[in-house]
Amino acid sequence: MAQQTAPMKSALPQRRFYFDVKWLIILVIVAFLLVFQVFPLLYMLYKAFFPESVFSLSTFTRLYTYEMNWGALCNTLIAAAATMVLGTVLAFPLAWLVGRTNMYGKKFFRSLFVLTYMVPPYLGAMAWTRLLNQNAGTINVFLRGLLNIDARTGPLNIYTIAGMIWVLTTFYYPYAFITISRAMEKMDPSLEEAARISGASPLKTVATITLPMMTPSLIAGALLVFVCAASCYGIPSIVGAPGKVHTVTTRIVEYMGLGQAGINDATGLAVFLMIMAIIILYISDVVVARKQYITVSGKSTRPNIVDLGRWRGLTTALVSLFSVIVIVIPFITIATTSVKKNLGKGLFEANNFTTMHWTKIFGRDDIIESLINSITFAAAAATIGIIISFTMAYLLQRTRVRGRKIPDFLITLGSGTPSVVIALGLIMTMNGKFGINLYNTAAIMIIAYLIKYLMMGMRTVVSAMSQIHVSLEESSQASGAGWLRTMFKVTVPLIFPSIAAGWFLIFIPCFYELSMSTLLYSRDTQVIGYMLHYYWTYTSQQQASAMAFGILLVVVALNFILNKLTKGEFSI
Amino acid sequence: MKKLLATLLALLMLCGMSGAVAENADVTGKVIIYTSMYQDICDMMSEALKAEFPNAEIEFFQGGTGTLQTKVAGEMESGKLGCDMLMVAEPAYSLELKEGGWLHPYLTEARNNMRFPYDEEGYWYCVRVCTMGFAYNPEMYSKEEIPTSYEAFAYDEQFKNTLSMSNPLTSGTAMATIVGLLDKFGEDYFVALGKQNVMIESGSSALAKLETGECSVVMILEESVLKKREEEGSTLEWFIPDDGNVLIPSTVMTVAPEKSANNNVAACEAITDWLLSDEGQSYIVKGWMHSVLTDYPTEPYDGKPTQELMDTNIEVDWEKCYTERDSIRALFQENVTVE
Repeated sequence: MAQQTAPMKSALPQRRFYFDVKWLIILVIVAFLLVFQVFPLLYMLYKAFFPESVFSLSTFTRLYTYEMNWGALCNTLIAAAATMVLGTVLAFPLAWLVGRTNMYGKKFFRSLFVLTYMVPPYLGAMAWTRLLNQNAGTINVFLRGLLNIDARTGPLNIYTIAGMIWVLTTFYYPYAFITISRAMEKMDPSLEEAARISGASPLKTVATITLPMMTPSLIAGALLVFVCAASCYGIPSIVGAPGKVHTVTTRIVEYMGLGQAGINDATGLAVFLMIMAIIILYISDVVVARKQYITVSGKSTRPNIVDLGRWRGLTTALVSLFSVIVIVIPFITIATTSVKKNLGKGLFEANNFTTMHWTKIFGRDDIIESLINSITFAAAAATIGIIISFTMAYLLQRTRVRGRKIPDFLITLGSGTPSVVIALGLIMTMNGKFGINLYNTAAIMIIAYLIKYLMMGMRTVVSAMSQIHVSLEESSQASGAGWLRTMFKVTVPLIFPSIAAGWFLIFIPCFYELSMSTLLYSRDTQVIGYMLHYYWTYTSQQQASAMAFGILLVVVALNFILNKLTKGEFSI
Repeated sequence: MKKLLATLLALLMLCGMSGAVAENADVTGKVIIYTSMYQDICDMMSEALKAEFPNAEIEFFQGGTGTLQTKVAGEMESGKLGCDMLMVAEPAYSLELKEGGWLHPYLTEARNNMRFPYDEEGYWYCVRVCTMGFAYNPEMYSKEEIPTSYEAFAYDEQFKNTLSMSNPLTSGTAMATIVGLLDKFGEDYFVALGKQNVMIESGSSALAKLETGECSVVMILEESVLKKREEEGSTLEWFIPDDGNVLIPSTVMTVAPEKSANNNVAACEAITDWLLSDEGQSYIVKGWMHSVLTDYPTEPYDGKPTQELMDTNIEVDWEKCYTERDSIRALFQENVTVE
């Protein structure tokens, strides 16, 4: 654009006025983050440090010397670390089996493993409490019969820290699975081939070649799981709290109920989660940056498939068993709940089957409106988010611009900040008091979603771009293509599956988002996540289950249609 | 008899409405009401308000009590609320808002006909009444197998690990209940609740635990059970514990004009009058709550008679509920919600 406005008569080369569009895009992103994320968070922090407009550390001293809060901090660290380890330990072999072996039904399992990503975590928590509560849990009743245990309770109890870690793992391992399997698909197989030719067994190849090459993605996936598990509220509130296991997020929500003084305390406690997010960013920066491997070069590559041989059947059976326990049983619980009249009775007992919850839910205008709102807002957030992610990936991987890590840091900080804090920060600062009034609009919700979930997409795209050798772009630019053209003709097509996955990774959590929407929605911007939680908490769990299963069907159908339309390139 | 009364009431309402349209035609402008009433009830009330105030635009913004209070706290930062009226939470919250200077006083005629407390200066009025008691599942347990008093709920060890109640840290009605119980039984009561491993949760989600048999008794609002009975034909039963129930009135307040969303006090006052009229109260009763008016003829579907509930009421000191809130919450959470 600047080129056109340059004086035509000038004898000097127009280069002097050349304006690179990438700087404009980067500037816009940084400005966006500064205004909508940094400013509200700083404002909240200011309020925490200056409770009565005078500097005081009293909020922090009080909060962090209170025994109950310490317990919550420890529980959060233990639960998030355990979930991270378990989730990654599960995700890596699953990603390898699905992506690199000849296991039966790979494609089917691939879709199945990401299914738990597509329902709100608190719904899963509800299903698991139904299955594993110590008094009447379906699995416990079954085990008592099977093992001839003569007791009214046990043998398992979901309302413990172990139970909470279990549910967190079943819900957050897909984050690591998606990150790792994307990278695995993009990996150059020639190194593995070399190992095999040199006589290494398939397992030895995995251990000595695949695993080390996957380290950046493994760490990225693991840290993503950690951050998500630490800032999750739904699962701890349903599984932990009834068993006296509290986390930072459950404490934050309890403080929130205390009015303005409570908001300061909640912010003070949230600082812990923000600091954790910063530490994680630091770790991933130091460790991942040192272990970066470029695995996609100009050569056309196709991942080689490891023949499982006689283990093929057994592996498939084990993976099936895993799927049944982790995915099928909880989903069936949600599905059957949605068609039961009385939850205490069997589905096939007289008069207990009913479709009334489905007709009631989908006969309501406000629910259909909320569904449309949710799809629109989530799609908007995902589209803007993926553009930002791509630009950020370019900035991080292809430039040496000073301060390029600042937006990366901010995006990670955003995802580590508890949802309620983001929402309150926006309410307090975007209500016209400082010149911008977005209160009660769709924009404020989309902005909140972006701040919280942008990292999901960004990590996927950054990790994909880290594996594309810069030489491909250089040859494009050497052939005369501009930056935008190179991006659209070379880089984007090469990492399109990751871009598509990144889009979906942002879309899904925004689609059923609850904590922020609850505070930010207005009459015209009600969303399905809020509706679902409201119905579940105050109306009827059966109706909520019908709504949740309906949502799941919508998302699966959307994923399927897009997959077909793009001939398999688009799916998570 | 109930049907006859209901028909008479409906006829009365119709007469009232036809006369009222002209009377309220001068009420104009926009009014936003934050409320924690059930969505269905808000929908019905919206329709009625549209007929009553044809030239005004009245909107309900519905949400859980805790959520709305958090939203309001966030809005207070800007010095202005996003609403004009509040129909949320119990008198303790009203006392807090009044002291903070957020409310507008209005003396309604209806105050002479109220059986529940209201602010003498007119800053708030009780508009609906909820009741905390016990619910159980007669298909799973007989009444002999469950605790039937607040005392047994906390002290009888045979019920350990089978009990649930709402979280006073996020629910106003639960907070009011524990203040009442604290006065009745002393601090020791919280220690006992902790030893029983009473599960603390939000909303009416614990009702599902009664259906599945996970819990033998749940301390819960009557309205949650009545709603389930009427809408789903549920057989869960709500009863008054032997040592009494806790009546928790919820208030209606008008936001001070300079701090409100639409600065429309005249409309807010007219709506307050309507809410405290027989017609307004009929929607409260349809929403499974009790009316605040003396001698209001009907009870909610399957509900206990209001007078009976008043006779067995465990009093709540609202002043204490507000002024000692933090220390009571701390006492509760240290004894009940953590090991």
